[in-house]
Amino acid sequence: MTREALIKKWLDNALDAKETEAFKKLGDYEQLTKLSESLKQFKAPEYNTSEELKRVLSQLNSKKKKKRSSTLKQLVKIAAIIVLGFSVVYYSSTLDTTLTTDYAEHTTIELPDASWVTLNAKSELTYNKHNWNKQREISLRGEAYFKVSNGASFNVKTASGTVTVIGTEFNVKQRRNIFEVTCYEGSVKVVYQDKNSILNSGDNFSILDGKLIAKEKETAPSPSWLNNESYFKSMPLNFVLNEFERQFELNFDTKDINVAQLFTGSFTHKDVHLALKSITLPLNLKYSIKDNTIVLTRE
Amino acid sequence: MSKDLNHNICEETRFASVFSAHAKNLHNFLYYKFGANFNPKDKVQDAFIKLWENCSKVKPSKAKSYLYKIANNMMLNEAAHQKVVLKYKQQKQQRHTNENPEFLMEEAQYNEKLQKAIANLSEAQRSAFLLNRIEGKKHREIAEILGISVKAVEKRIYGALKKLRAEIEHL
Repeated sequence: MTREALIKKWLDNALDAKETEAFKKLGDYEQLTKLSESLKQFKAPEYNTSEELKRVLSQLNSKKKKKRSSTLKQLVKIAAIIVLGFSVVYYSSTLDTTLTTDYAEHTTIELPDASWVTLNAKSELTYNKHNWNKQREISLRGEAYFKVSNGASFNVKTASGTVTVIGTEFNVKQRRNIFEVTCYEGSVKVVYQDKNSILNSGDNFSILDGKLIAKEKETAPSPSWLNNESYFKSMPLNFVLNEFERQFELNFDTKDINVAQLFTGSFTHKDVHLALKSITLPLNLKYSIKDNTIVLTRE
Repeated sequence: MSKDLNHNICEETRFASVFSAHAKNLHNFLYYKFGANFNPKDKVQDAFIKLWENCSKVKPSKAKSYLYKIANNMMLNEAAHQKVVLKYKQQKQQRHTNENPEFLMEEAQYNEKLQKAIANLSEAQRSAFLLNRIEGKKHREIAEILGISVKAVEKRIYGALKKLRAEIEHL
């Protein structure tokens, strides 16, 4: 047996008696045994398996508890999210609903009680869905036509005054220097500067520049603007032009003309030129369009 | 294999028996491979906790290699490129107090050289060699622990011995 084979066998602790004798005769026998003996000093620290097992098991148990508490935490988190979600939904449901229209835009919405509102161009309407069953109240800036279903009093608040109704159809127009209520069906009460006026079907309540204007009975079944037409009767021209601007998103230059003159007639919302002609022809005016501005001049 | 399906390690008794079978060898392997500085006992604990957490995914037949892999990786993360330090005990010298001071000094120097030489072995050589020399493991047992062939173990151990002797002489 070679030296190397002998050493390898010694390393595997597999030498038999005869081989051990041979191994002892090797020149480096002493060196090898010394090395081997010295190595034993580098022994790993004692490893107590049962102690260590206890340690690991107790750690596992505490982990389980932690896991349980973390699932509890998870639950609390989920509950918090749900509560938060509900409160956001609740809060948002108590918020006012606002509806706005831009130039040349009409919108119709159904209110929570099956009443209908149609908003004319450049108008804003605010109401509270959540409170609707207790209080039917709408804030309005601009012009809107209402079809109110029967029920408790229905209020339309405007900067100029309040209109109260009980199941009816009516139009409220509140623009700069003008507040006009027309009742088309049923009856409406208008409160204007602490004065109450009751309007019955076909009645009209108009305030122009702070002055009450008497008007003939309304014979149309609904306001003309619902059919994309604006109708005026003996209305100062500047009010007519303001309405025109709202329907077409255009500006007028009226330096050369008298805007106080009265206008009776209507203009369509569908065709600018036709609409302009409807206004200018009866008044003997001429118009020219520059950019977004319409210049009106006398003929 | 059919045994695997019926017994997973999630049972505590099963887990305990896996622990008893492998914990000590794993500990010694980690100690001789990486030295005393990185808490091999804690790594064993952590490896078994990992095994418990994944007990449904790890088959019992794969538990051993799983443990060694986990523990080894944890060690590697921590030990990255640091010098291995194995501590040696002085008790042996204390038993021979009648020996003269010169001998004691020589002995201490020898141990220091040996320590350095051990540290200079490759991880593979050191773990196999010390499991053999210190723990008295047969080549076959080491082959089983390391998951390599007996021949490879023999080669590592003999290589380690040669390298150690050369270094001690040299130092």
